[in-house]
Amino acid sequence: MTIFAFVLLTTALNNFYRLLGASGDDIATGQDGILATTISTSYMEIAQGLAFDQQTDTSSAAIGDISVLTDPAYMGPDVSWEDSVHKFNDFDDFDGFTLEKEAVGTGRRYATSFAVNYVNPNDVASISGTRSYVKRMDLQTWRTFPPTPVADTLRLSLVLGYFHFD
Amino acid sequence: MAAIMDIMISFVIGGVLLMIILTANEIAAENHMVYNGDMLVQEMLVSTVAILEGEFRNMGFGVDEATPTITWGDSASVSFLSDLDRNDATPPDTIHYFIGPVSELSGTQNEIDRLLHRRVNNGTVSSIGAVTIFRLSYLTQDGVILPRPVPAPRLSEIHTVEVSIEVQNPYAPLNPLGSNPEALFSSSLWQQTRLASQNTRR
Repeated sequence: MTIFAFVLLTTALNNFYRLLGASGDDIATGQDGILATTISTSYMEIAQGLAFDQQTDTSSAAIGDISVLTDPAYMGPDVSWEDSVHKFNDFDDFDGFTLEKEAVGTGRRYATSFAVNYVNPNDVASISGTRSYVKRMDLQTWRTFPPTPVADTLRLSLVLGYFHFD
Repeated sequence: MAAIMDIMISFVIGGVLLMIILTANEIAAENHMVYNGDMLVQEMLVSTVAILEGEFRNMGFGVDEATPTITWGDSASVSFLSDLDRNDATPPDTIHYFIGPVSELSGTQNEIDRLLHRRVNNGTVSSIGAVTIFRLSYLTQDGVILPRPVPAPRLSEIHTVEVSIEVQNPYAPLNPLGSNPEALFSSSLWQQTRLASQNTRR
């Protein structure tokens, strides 16, 4: 009878402490979510300040011929020295990159991977295999340090359309 | 004799069980307070940031291309132009963010929390939240960090502004006032890069 009571109590305590641990993890995940969001939106902000395409960066003339835009197969940095965010000059330079950043003061590190594609202007959810005047950047951010057994990945997208003031 | 032994053993086992339950109860209460503190600071941070982010997002809105958007940039204060009323006929508004002295929140247990203030033009100062860190860095197009305060001739070089905010719990529930000056306060950090102007590229 006594042994049974002990087993029952131990089981109850185990569940109790597991629940406490889970609550702590949820709170920590909240902080991770905040930092991952701020890091992702920071990259998005930088990307928004760039030219739509390599062509529109080097020329102020309006693009009338869509074929001069970057080939969908050649998204990414246009030259070898475009190897960091601050050297990028157009939106699709981010394509294929994975960047890691430390949230200063926390010791936590987050990696962000980027993919840039042309999308259908009438349905920005669908990727277009051909050139269009709308591009979409898909970002995925996750914590790399300290390592976590269950890594939550934050996914965000940014759509940028080509415009020109005459 | 055997009956007395049984009663004594029962008392011992009962006492052990009671101790375990009391300890578990205490741990639960402590954890509840810590988690509650963590959640509270995250909510405080998000509500402060919601105001700040919306305004920083519109930095330079309605400002002439040749005019620097940021008119003053220091490590803990910034002034920038933005057309808040969306009226082309009036000059852009000057928005000033700065942190106040720690004495403003001397009534809290936390010794480093302070108010984050906002002022539009020469209007009244309003507080948008309590923070422990409000740190600003200014970067050029090439990612070079500018000295702070940013010298006036270099204000036009500012391309992005990095904002770091930390919010800590004003109270440490497990450490009553005066019991431990190094009490652990729950904290939450927010760090974001914002463009000095959305219209730097045409």
